[in-house]
Amino acid sequence: MTISINTKMAEVIHHNFHLIPIISRFNIQFGFGDKTVHDVCLKHDIRPDFFVEIVNAFNNPDYSPTEKLEKIPLYLIVDYLRKSHRYFNLEKLPVIEQLINHLKWNNSNDIKNREILTKFFNEYRKEVTEHTLNEENEIYPFVLYLEECYDKMKKGESFTPIDKGKTIKEYQETHDELSSALLDLKNILIKYLQPAVNSDITDKILIEIFRLEKDMEDHTRIEDTVLIPVALKLERELKKPKV
Amino acid sequence: MNKVTFIIAEKSYIIRNGLINIINGFPETAVIKEVSDLQLLSETVNKYKPDIVIVNSGLLKGKYESIHGIFQRPKHVKYVILKENEPEHSEMDYFDEMILINEPKDKIIQKIQNLISSKLPEKHKFENNELTVREKDVIRLVALGKTNKEIADLLFISTHTAITHRKNITGKLGIKTVSGLTVYAILNNIISIEEGV
Repeated sequence: MTISINTKMAEVIHHNFHLIPIISRFNIQFGFGDKTVHDVCLKHDIRPDFFVEIVNAFNNPDYSPTEKLEKIPLYLIVDYLRKSHRYFNLEKLPVIEQLINHLKWNNSNDIKNREILTKFFNEYRKEVTEHTLNEENEIYPFVLYLEECYDKMKKGESFTPIDKGKTIKEYQETHDELSSALLDLKNILIKYLQPAVNSDITDKILIEIFRLEKDMEDHTRIEDTVLIPVALKLERELKKPKV
Repeated sequence: MNKVTFIIAEKSYIIRNGLINIINGFPETAVIKEVSDLQLLSETVNKYKPDIVIVNSGLLKGKYESIHGIFQRPKHVKYVILKENEPEHSEMDYFDEMILINEPKDKIIQKIQNLISSKLPEKHKFENNELTVREKDVIRLVALGKTNKEIADLLFISTHTAITHRKNITGKLGIKTVSGLTVYAILNNIISIEEGV
């Protein structure tokens, strides 16, 4: 199902419950009755076309949002990406950490298992935090700066020419390491770690990890297929010699 | 996990999506590319190196040799022809399988299942395989924080061989990062927990 601005917001959730955190990221509250996506978005000061592209991109990994999202101001996309960082760092990872702390094994291996699992998870968490901080402090501001310069150029206003050496290229690669670590964590729990006494907690951890993985893939896809290509395009325009 | 990969060369959107739908019903498969003309197909096959190519006979316009010619057909790629009518006997010489558009569901699914099964052993050659003694040496050194170069020197092998061992270990275990391999090494008593911290 492709969601449009005329789809009922309730249907969006019924169609794919994984969209619940995405919707809360837009600060949309439940209780929307039979209102359409369009009406709910306007009530919450959200551009409906932007919302529709984001949820469709999430629903369908093959969906290429680039063309339509190109028309959305980058600051909105960056704002959304920042919100999902916050969701990963402040909501999801702490939940997984807590669950890991609750795992119990029979006496002889309890400390050892928890220690190695916690160590692995903490390293992963640290990498995610560093990665997201780098994006928020370096990449996003640069992207927004490009957009600002481009807007000024179009209006014929003057702007400081951007540094020719600085470029948005070669930045995507760091995502691989993060997704490998998550995959490793799944395999450690599924294949290698001794079963915990309270295996219901293991179930919960795995479900959380699978959801997080899907959410992060979607996040990365928006960065790689929308943010970076649009920024590269602006960069090219801005670096063009003036005629 | 390595998936069995497909490329679909078919003009009709409806048929393409029908095929994708069937293929996605099987675990461990992925349709990596869809194309709608012959020129693109040869480029795509060379670039993506799929396991299985499904091509509509209409695109080939009877030039079946082109499957061998243009693609310099790599041996491991299986070609499936999609046809509206029963093919002439000679046509089948060029293909590993044939699917008729009007065939019943069960038959099509069976054919695709057979194709996937024929490709899975290659993908799974690592699975259910214990690590070799050498690979355990390598994983131990990785867990101790050694670089590929250091591992090569310590084991008197080339860096290239050390990297190949790493790749095989990742293929067998499904673990790629150094931290993940360290966890595996501790859990399997390849190193002690004190060494790993």
